[in-house]
Amino acid sequence: MLADFNFRVIFEYLPLFLTGLRATFLISIVSIALALCTGIIACACRISPARVLKYPAIAYIEIIRSTPLLVQIYFLYFGLPTLGVRIPEIQTGILALMLNSGAYIAEIIRAGINSVDEGQLEAGISSGLNYVQRMRFIILPQALGVTIPPLLGQAIVLVKDSALLSLISVAELTRSGQLMTSERFMPTEAFFTVAFFYMCIYFVLKALAEWSQKKLIFREAY
Amino acid sequence: MENMIEFKNVHKWYGKLHVLNDINLEISRGEVLVICGPSGSGKSTLIRCINRLEEIQKGEIVVNNTPVHDKTVNLTRLREDIGFVFQQFHLYPHMTVLQNITLAPVNVKKMSRKKAEAIAMEKLEQVGLTDKSGAYPGQLSGGQQQRVAIARGLAMSPEIMLFDEPTSALDPEMIGEVLDVMVNLVSEGMTMCVVTHEMGFAKKVADRVVFMDEGKIVETGKPDEFFDNPKTERAESFISMILTH
Repeated sequence: MLADFNFRVIFEYLPLFLTGLRATFLISIVSIALALCTGIIACACRISPARVLKYPAIAYIEIIRSTPLLVQIYFLYFGLPTLGVRIPEIQTGILALMLNSGAYIAEIIRAGINSVDEGQLEAGISSGLNYVQRMRFIILPQALGVTIPPLLGQAIVLVKDSALLSLISVAELTRSGQLMTSERFMPTEAFFTVAFFYMCIYFVLKALAEWSQKKLIFREAY
Repeated sequence: MENMIEFKNVHKWYGKLHVLNDINLEISRGEVLVICGPSGSGKSTLIRCINRLEEIQKGEIVVNNTPVHDKTVNLTRLREDIGFVFQQFHLYPHMTVLQNITLAPVNVKKMSRKKAEAIAMEKLEQVGLTDKSGAYPGQLSGGQQQRVAIARGLAMSPEIMLFDEPTSALDPEMIGEVLDVMVNLVSEGMTMCVVTHEMGFAKKVADRVVFMDEGKIVETGKPDEFFDNPKTERAESFISMILTH
């Protein structure tokens, strides 16, 4: 099958793919960073006893998790301008990815926090540690250890989800494939190349996840 | 004698369950009190109210002249004076033994790390575990973990130590080492409340035994009197139960 491949065209379009790869990479990095912030804030609100924080956080998380990402992207893409907000497609896309991943990350962090044994909290309370100290010294160090692998998993999902931004004409990796297809009508070559680059990103993140699992989890502890 | 802990008409409910029913109890400074009773009788809840791990719905608990369940009470200050040892030890698994013990002195008492570590080593010596200061809890036996937990409580220099079934989660051969540490504490004049069924410990060091059933204090007495000649039928059947095991 590879014998029928027109590698010359792929190389001819390589600059376009590399531009797309670069865009996908940048969009992903920015979105992951923003999603992490969103997730931490949403999680803090979600576990807060204050109802004014807790219920909006639940609503946000449930709405995001119950609707498809593509619908969310279209909602922002077509919805924001009618609200008078006019921002470039790429920013709309980053906003969508941020809001989407933020909800999942909030739940991942919450699961990490809940995984810490209640008794250790009571031990902390009994020795006079306040809420912030208990979070900082007892809960978060342990929650982080169990949270990093699923967080990197979510990062991998986000990178692949960013392909949907091609549908609102953001010039990222998948869009490069679409452009080449429309100019040369060689979809197999185009999307083979696109897939190859996504796999490259995937393996980098996966290696990072495995490394962090070895390094960051407190293995002596168990 | 001066009262260290005082329960006045204390009631607590979990929903409809009346877990503490009109508790009146006075524990004086330096006294060693053993609390026993069948499971679900409210004995753990009783001592968990002393440092306000549990709220009460009615009545008052006064510790060292501080009303524990008052809205304005400085809980951090109160808890500095009360060490608590749990059945399941609850050491922090991601910290070494030394870090476990120094965490509260450094962060609550704002002690310098050097001083806190010196105190920690002193307490580790007291429980016979100086060689384990760099170990993680997971590398220790249950008995060793519980002794570290006791050292962690002592490092705050509390006036009261509360023990919630400290030996119930231990293998039989490790119970002795933990009880020995507790007996040594008694000789230092520590005020202690111990929820336990270890009759030997109670007979040896307790000043009084309190027997609870269904949220009430059913009987109070000297350990020898209580275990050998219980006044109530419920206490009698309970003692015969723990004796046959």
